[in-house]
Amino acid sequence: MVRKPSLLIVDDEPNVLLTLKLVLEEDGYQISTAGSFAEAEKLMVAVGNFDAILTDLWMEKEDIGLELARSASKLKPRPVIVIFTGYGSPGNARAALGVPVDYFALKPLDVDELKRVLNRLVVANTAERRWQS
Amino acid sequence: MAVMSGWRGTKFALIVHPELRVLAQYQTLLSKNGVTTVVARDLPTALLAITQHYFDIAIVSSQLSEAGDGWPLAGVLHLVFPGSYIGVLVPGADLLTLQSAINSGVQDVYEITQSPQSVVRAVVAAAKLVESNKPSGHLQ
Repeated sequence: MVRKPSLLIVDDEPNVLLTLKLVLEEDGYQISTAGSFAEAEKLMVAVGNFDAILTDLWMEKEDIGLELARSASKLKPRPVIVIFTGYGSPGNARAALGVPVDYFALKPLDVDELKRVLNRLVVANTAERRWQS
Repeated sequence: MAVMSGWRGTKFALIVHPELRVLAQYQTLLSKNGVTTVVARDLPTALLAITQHYFDIAIVSSQLSEAGDGWPLAGVLHLVFPGSYIGVLVPGADLLTLQSAINSGVQDVYEITQSPQSVVRAVVAAAKLVESNKPSGHLQ
Protein backbone atom coordinates (compact mmCIF):
# COMPACT_ATOMS: atom_id res chain seq x y z
CA MET A 1 0.00 0.00 0.00
CA VAL A 2 1.30 3.46 -0.87
CA ARG A 3 1.86 5.64 2.19
CA LYS A 4 0.16 9.03 2.11
CA PRO A 5 2.54 11.97 2.65
CA SER A 6 2.06 13.31 6.19
CA LEU A 7 1.64 16.99 7.00
CA LEU A 8 1.66 18.89 10.27
CA ILE A 9 -0.34 22.13 10.03
CA VAL A 10 0.12 24.65 12.83
CA ASP A 11 -2.05 27.73 13.32
CA ASP A 12 -3.77 29.33 16.31
CA GLU A 13 -6.82 30.24 14.20
CA PRO A 14 -9.12 27.18 14.22
CA ASN A 15 -10.86 28.26 11.00
CA VAL A 16 -7.59 28.40 9.04
CA LEU A 17 -6.53 25.07 10.51
CA LEU A 18 -9.82 23.39 9.55
CA THR A 19 -9.88 24.86 6.04
CA LEU A 20 -6.30 23.82 5.27
CA LYS A 21 -6.94 20.37 6.75
CA LEU A 22 -10.00 19.81 4.54
CA VAL A 23 -8.37 21.16 1.39
CA LEU A 24 -5.11 19.25 1.78
CA GLU A 25 -6.79 16.02 2.95
CA GLU A 26 -8.74 16.11 -0.30
CA ASP A 27 -5.39 16.35 -2.09
CA GLY A 28 -4.29 13.01 -0.59
CA TYR A 29 -2.25 14.07 2.44
CA GLN A 30 -2.50 12.60 5.93
CA ILE A 31 -2.99 15.60 8.21
CA SER A 32 -2.10 16.30 11.83
CA THR A 33 -2.94 19.70 13.29
CA ALA A 34 -1.68 21.79 16.20
CA GLY A 35 -3.10 25.04 17.57
CA SER A 36 0.14 26.31 19.07
CA PHE A 37 3.93 26.09 18.95
CA ALA A 38 3.97 24.00 22.13
CA GLU A 39 1.44 21.51 20.77
CA ALA A 40 3.36 21.28 17.48
CA GLU A 41 6.64 20.55 19.28
CA LYS A 42 4.96 17.73 21.23
CA LEU A 43 3.57 16.26 18.01
CA MET A 44 6.95 16.47 16.28
CA VAL A 45 8.43 14.38 19.09
CA ALA A 46 5.48 11.97 19.46
CA VAL A 47 4.69 11.37 15.78
CA GLY A 48 7.90 12.52 14.06
CA ASN A 49 8.82 11.92 10.44
CA PHE A 50 6.38 14.42 8.90
CA ASP A 51 6.91 14.96 5.19
CA ALA A 52 6.07 18.64 5.56
CA ILE A 53 5.38 21.14 8.33
CA LEU A 54 3.22 24.17 7.54
CA THR A 55 3.17 26.80 10.24
CA ASP A 56 1.74 30.22 10.89
CA LEU A 57 4.34 32.79 11.93
CA TRP A 58 2.54 34.62 14.74
CA MET A 59 0.86 32.43 17.36
CA GLU A 60 1.47 32.59 21.13
CA LYS A 61 4.29 35.02 20.39
CA GLU A 62 5.41 37.14 17.43
CA ASP A 63 7.46 35.16 14.90
CA ILE A 64 7.28 31.96 16.99
CA GLY A 65 6.73 30.03 13.74
CA LEU A 66 10.42 30.68 13.05
CA GLU A 67 11.34 28.76 16.22
CA LEU A 68 9.24 25.85 15.04
CA ALA A 69 10.90 26.05 11.61
CA ARG A 70 14.35 25.98 13.25
CA SER A 71 13.40 22.89 15.31
CA ALA A 72 11.95 21.20 12.22
CA SER A 73 15.07 21.97 10.15
CA LYS A 74 17.16 19.93 12.62
CA LEU A 75 15.01 16.81 12.21
CA LYS A 76 16.45 13.87 10.30
CA PRO A 77 15.08 13.34 7.72
CA ARG A 78 14.34 17.01 7.31
CA PRO A 79 10.71 17.78 6.42
CA VAL A 80 9.64 20.43 3.92
CA ILE A 81 9.05 23.64 5.89
CA VAL A 82 6.40 26.17 4.86
CA ILE A 83 5.65 29.40 6.73
CA PHE A 84 2.54 31.46 6.11
CA THR A 85 1.78 34.83 7.64
CA GLY A 86 -0.33 37.94 7.49
CA TYR A 87 2.50 39.87 9.17
CA GLY A 88 5.36 39.46 6.73
CA SER A 89 8.25 41.91 7.12
CA PRO A 90 11.78 42.14 5.74
CA GLY A 91 12.99 41.14 9.22
CA ASN A 92 11.05 37.91 9.57
CA ALA A 93 11.53 37.02 5.89
CA ARG A 94 15.31 37.49 6.27
CA ALA A 95 15.21 35.22 9.34
CA ALA A 96 13.18 32.61 7.42
CA LEU A 97 15.76 32.70 4.61
CA GLY A 98 18.42 31.92 7.20
CA VAL A 99 16.63 28.83 8.62
CA PRO A 100 16.19 27.97 5.65
CA VAL A 101 12.46 27.73 5.01
CA ASP A 102 11.34 26.09 1.74
CA TYR A 103 8.34 28.31 1.08
CA PHE A 104 7.15 31.62 2.51
CA ALA A 105 3.52 32.50 1.78
CA LEU A 106 1.66 35.68 2.60
CA LYS A 107 -1.97 35.60 3.75
CA PRO A 108 -4.55 35.56 2.29
CA LEU A 109 -3.29 32.20 1.04
CA ASP A 110 -3.71 31.21 -2.58
CA VAL A 111 -4.78 27.62 -1.91
CA ASP A 112 -4.21 26.37 -5.47
CA GLU A 113 -0.70 27.80 -5.45
CA LEU A 114 -0.04 26.25 -2.02
CA LYS A 115 -1.22 22.82 -3.22
CA ARG A 116 0.97 23.01 -6.34
CA VAL A 117 4.07 24.14 -4.43
CA LEU A 118 3.55 21.60 -1.64
CA ASN A 119 3.26 18.78 -4.15
CA ARG A 120 6.49 19.84 -5.89
CA LEU A 121 8.42 20.25 -2.63
CA VAL A 122 7.21 16.99 -1.05
CA VAL A 123 7.93 14.96 -4.19
CA ALA A 124 11.43 16.48 -4.49
CA ASN A 125 12.16 15.97 -0.78
CA THR A 126 10.99 12.35 -0.89
CA ALA A 127 13.23 11.68 -3.90
CA GLU A 128 16.21 13.27 -2.12
CA ARG A 129 15.57 11.20 1.04
CA ARG A 130 15.46 8.04 -1.08
CA TRP A 131 18.67 9.05 -2.85
CA GLN A 132 20.49 9.64 0.46
CA SER A 133 19.38 6.40 2.14
CA MET B 1 26.80 1.33 -6.55
CA ALA B 2 30.32 2.80 -6.48
CA VAL B 3 30.49 6.10 -4.63
CA MET B 4 33.57 8.30 -4.85
CA SER B 5 33.28 9.53 -1.28
CA GLY B 6 34.79 12.95 -0.71
CA TRP B 7 36.01 13.53 -4.28
CA ARG B 8 34.91 16.88 -5.64
CA GLY B 9 37.48 17.96 -8.21
CA THR B 10 37.63 21.59 -9.31
CA LYS B 11 35.07 23.97 -7.85
CA PHE B 12 32.99 25.78 -10.47
CA ALA B 13 31.02 29.00 -10.11
CA LEU B 14 28.47 30.50 -12.47
CA ILE B 15 28.07 34.28 -12.53
CA VAL B 16 25.09 35.70 -14.40
CA HIS B 17 24.91 39.47 -14.79
CA PRO B 18 24.11 41.73 -17.76
CA GLU B 19 27.20 43.95 -17.25
CA LEU B 20 30.60 42.74 -18.47
CA ARG B 21 32.42 44.95 -15.96
CA VAL B 22 30.64 43.24 -13.05
CA LEU B 23 31.24 39.77 -14.52
CA ALA B 24 34.97 40.52 -14.84
CA GLN B 25 35.18 41.72 -11.23
CA TYR B 26 33.50 38.58 -9.86
CA GLN B 27 35.51 36.28 -12.12
CA THR B 28 38.79 37.81 -10.92
CA LEU B 29 37.81 37.61 -7.26
CA LEU B 30 36.55 34.03 -7.45
CA SER B 31 39.61 32.89 -9.41
CA LYS B 32 41.79 34.29 -6.59
CA ASN B 33 39.83 31.97 -4.27
CA GLY B 34 40.63 28.96 -6.46
CA VAL B 35 37.19 28.76 -8.06
CA THR B 36 36.89 28.25 -11.82
CA THR B 37 34.30 30.73 -13.03
CA VAL B 38 31.93 30.61 -15.97
CA VAL B 39 30.14 33.84 -16.86
CA ALA B 40 26.89 34.53 -18.70
CA ARG B 41 25.18 37.80 -19.61
CA ASP B 42 21.76 36.38 -20.43
CA LEU B 43 19.37 33.49 -19.76
CA PRO B 44 20.16 31.34 -22.84
CA THR B 45 23.91 31.45 -22.14
CA ALA B 46 23.31 30.64 -18.47
CA LEU B 47 21.08 27.66 -19.37
CA LEU B 48 23.72 26.40 -21.81
CA ALA B 49 26.37 26.65 -19.07
CA ILE B 50 24.11 24.66 -16.69
CA THR B 51 24.09 21.78 -19.18
CA GLN B 52 27.91 21.78 -19.39
CA HIS B 53 29.19 22.00 -15.77
CA TYR B 54 28.44 21.07 -12.18
CA PHE B 55 28.29 24.40 -10.32
CA ASP B 56 29.11 24.55 -6.61
CA ILE B 57 28.41 28.29 -6.48
CA ALA B 58 26.12 30.55 -8.49
CA ILE B 59 25.77 34.32 -8.23
CA VAL B 60 22.86 35.63 -10.27
CA SER B 61 21.55 39.15 -10.81
CA SER B 62 17.80 39.36 -10.11
CA GLN B 63 17.59 41.57 -13.22
CA LEU B 64 19.00 40.26 -16.49
CA SER B 65 17.02 41.68 -19.40
CA GLU B 66 14.09 42.83 -17.25
CA ALA B 67 13.29 43.23 -13.54
CA GLY B 68 12.91 39.91 -11.73
CA ASP B 69 13.88 37.57 -14.57
CA GLY B 70 16.88 36.31 -12.59
CA TRP B 71 14.61 34.61 -10.02
CA PRO B 72 13.38 31.76 -12.27
CA LEU B 73 17.02 31.10 -13.21
CA ALA B 74 17.93 30.93 -9.51
CA GLY B 75 15.04 28.45 -9.06
CA VAL B 76 16.34 26.30 -11.91
CA LEU B 77 19.85 26.33 -10.41
CA HIS B 78 18.41 25.20 -7.06
CA LEU B 79 16.58 22.30 -8.73
CA VAL B 80 19.55 21.21 -10.85
CA PHE B 81 22.24 21.65 -8.17
CA PRO B 82 20.31 21.20 -4.88
CA GLY B 83 23.43 21.03 -2.70
CA SER B 84 25.08 24.12 -4.16
CA TYR B 85 25.25 27.69 -2.92
CA ILE B 86 23.13 30.23 -4.81
CA GLY B 87 23.29 33.96 -4.10
CA VAL B 88 21.23 36.63 -5.85
CA LEU B 89 22.24 40.28 -6.40
CA VAL B 90 19.22 42.51 -5.75
CA PRO B 91 18.48 46.24 -5.93
CA GLY B 92 16.99 46.19 -2.40
CA ALA B 93 16.09 43.53 0.17
CA ASP B 94 12.39 44.31 0.72
CA LEU B 95 9.73 41.75 1.75
CA LEU B 96 8.79 40.63 -1.76
CA THR B 97 12.45 40.23 -2.77
CA LEU B 98 13.16 38.09 0.29
CA GLN B 99 10.00 36.07 -0.39
CA SER B 100 11.23 35.44 -3.95
CA ALA B 101 14.60 34.37 -2.53
CA ILE B 102 13.04 31.82 -0.15
CA ASN B 103 10.62 30.48 -2.73
CA SER B 104 13.35 30.13 -5.36
CA GLY B 105 15.52 28.14 -2.93
CA VAL B 106 18.45 30.57 -2.86
CA GLN B 107 20.72 30.78 0.17
CA ASP B 108 21.16 34.55 0.38
CA VAL B 109 20.62 37.90 -1.29
CA TYR B 110 23.19 40.68 -1.66
CA GLU B 111 22.27 44.29 -2.33
CA ILE B 112 23.94 45.75 -5.42
CA THR B 113 25.42 48.49 -3.24
CA GLN B 114 27.67 45.86 -1.61
CA SER B 115 31.16 45.62 -3.08
CA PRO B 116 31.97 42.48 -5.10
CA GLN B 117 34.81 41.86 -2.61
CA SER B 118 32.43 41.63 0.34
CA VAL B 119 29.95 39.52 -1.65
CA VAL B 120 32.64 37.04 -2.73
CA ARG B 121 34.01 36.85 0.84
CA ALA B 122 30.53 36.01 2.14
CA VAL B 123 29.75 33.61 -0.72
CA VAL B 124 32.99 31.65 -0.38
CA ALA B 125 32.54 31.33 3.40
CA ALA B 126 28.88 30.30 3.03
CA ALA B 127 29.66 27.85 0.23
CA LYS B 128 32.23 26.12 2.48
CA LEU B 129 29.52 25.77 5.14
CA VAL B 130 27.07 24.34 2.60
CA GLU B 131 29.78 21.91 1.45
CA SER B 132 30.43 20.71 5.01
CA ASN B 133 26.70 20.07 5.49
CA LYS B 134 26.40 17.90 2.37
CA PRO B 135 25.89 14.22 3.17
CA SER B 136 29.12 12.25 2.73
CA GLY B 137 29.16 9.82 -0.13
CA HIS B 138 26.49 11.82 -1.97
CA LEU B 139 27.29 11.21 -5.63
CA GLN B 140 27.83 14.56 -7.34
